[in-house]
Amino acid sequence: MGNFAKFDTNPLEYVKIIPDSKSHIFIKDDGICIEECENKPCTYYCPTRVFYWEDDSIKILYKRCIECGACPFGCPYDNIAWENPRGGYGVVY
Amino acid sequence: MGNDRYDVVVVGAGPAGSSAALLMANNNLSVAMLERGPYPGSKNMSGGTIASMPFQEILPEYWNIDGIPLERKIVSDELWMLDNDSAVKMGFSGKKFGYAPYNKFSILRYKFDKWYADQAVAAGAKLFNNCLAIDLVYHKTGLLSKKVDGVVLEGGDIIHADLVVLAEGSSAALTQKIGLRQRLNPADMTLYVKEVLELPSGKIEERFSLEGDEGAVIGMVGYPTSPAIGKGGIWTNKDSLSIVVGAYLNQIVNKGLNPLQLMERFKSHPMIKKLIEGAKPIKYLAHTIPKGGFKKIPTLVDDGVIVVGDAAEMISGRRGIDLAMITGKFAAEAAAQACALDDYSRETLSSYVKRIKGSFFYENMRKGKNVEEYFNTYQDSDFLITKAMNDLAFKYFKQDLENNKIRLRKMIEELKNMQPLQKTGKDLLYGLQNWEVW
Repeated sequence: MGNFAKFDTNPLEYVKIIPDSKSHIFIKDDGICIEECENKPCTYYCPTRVFYWEDDSIKILYKRCIECGACPFGCPYDNIAWENPRGGYGVVY
Repeated sequence: MGNDRYDVVVVGAGPAGSSAALLMANNNLSVAMLERGPYPGSKNMSGGTIASMPFQEILPEYWNIDGIPLERKIVSDELWMLDNDSAVKMGFSGKKFGYAPYNKFSILRYKFDKWYADQAVAAGAKLFNNCLAIDLVYHKTGLLSKKVDGVVLEGGDIIHADLVVLAEGSSAALTQKIGLRQRLNPADMTLYVKEVLELPSGKIEERFSLEGDEGAVIGMVGYPTSPAIGKGGIWTNKDSLSIVVGAYLNQIVNKGLNPLQLMERFKSHPMIKKLIEGAKPIKYLAHTIPKGGFKKIPTLVDDGVIVVGDAAEMISGRRGIDLAMITGKFAAEAAAQACALDDYSRETLSSYVKRIKGSFFYENMRKGKNVEEYFNTYQDSDFLITKAMNDLAFKYFKQDLENNKIRLRKMIEELKNMQPLQKTGKDLLYGLQNWEVW
């Protein structure tokens, strides 16, 4: 495993995001995260750390999402559903 | 906007979509262009250059057009093989690239894409911002036959059109939804993060040995993404630097890498630190690049549908924006023909596929298909080559007390200790193709 805990910068300080009132990211089946997924890679490959593990399930901070498009493909169990945020919402570079 | 009718609706207002819309409008087709963000470019990211020759196919002498947000003309292009505290540098700097027709320009997508879409609008295309298409609509023509009749927007409005051009970028939701693109694996894409760092133009010119509006690009392999296969890079803009790092997604996942940590680590390299010293971060961006290559090219046309740009996996080496532009141009030509025939069937539109198959980049993509496979099999090749080159260069340039024969023998010995010489040669050969220095 890489050592990804050695910095404390927060790049979201200089990202503009217009968050929608509802999430555009979903875990399809929480059971898979508990029973099958050992490393929980979504908690580290996401460039803005949208995902974190707490109380036996993946929590999603969709308001941090900058729409890179990696999460549905990076999940080894195809367990993340990601949709485009509604028109006008989300990241604005 | 609901229930309006156009000849063509273009989904996505990036370089592919705007090229298609601009040229179709020039051909007197009625065009609607949909952008899901507040303005074109608001969701887009790339390393940072456009190539002059392909862009001139669409807008001749574009550099003279009023208000074009070009950052710097690139006169220096380098590849660094970066080790922990050293680098082997290759490259070309040429004043020739500083004169028209130039070679490439650095750009910032949130400025450039907006301007480019405005050119399509000036030509007559209609641009709808904040507008997400969620599906295609069909019109029944018989018991079993149907024909594309436009797109549905979230909220249910419909924009009618005879032809839908899918220019929706790497995530390609609609292309997948209608079954033209197969599901991609994490090995079929790279994930990049980028920062834009503000730095006064005088400092940029001083640090990169530039004059006036000249610019430099440095691509880097080895250290930036170690232990994964990937690339780092620095682009000079007018008064900022773009710094980028990224790697194959499957390797990021399997090796437990965090892209933001890769960026921080890259920026702290002694030779990078000096270049960006005092520069203030003003943007943080991230995006995937479809790298499935030749094998993952989707079905490019269907009845009433054409797929262009990243959605069509049109990436070859580090070329993507220019391929997006050219595929947009091909789509516009096919659309003009279809409109003249009043026939938007797959058969008529397949002239688009023929144009792609006859293009220079199709041949490059076909040839490049083994490169990606190679790097997924030998994930240590970047590391080995970078290490070998840095060790050799160190010995070569070091003033020691041995005669040249012994020096050479020792250098070869060292290479052999790492891996068989043939494999080193092969790594280098594939590496050169992957880094696109030729």
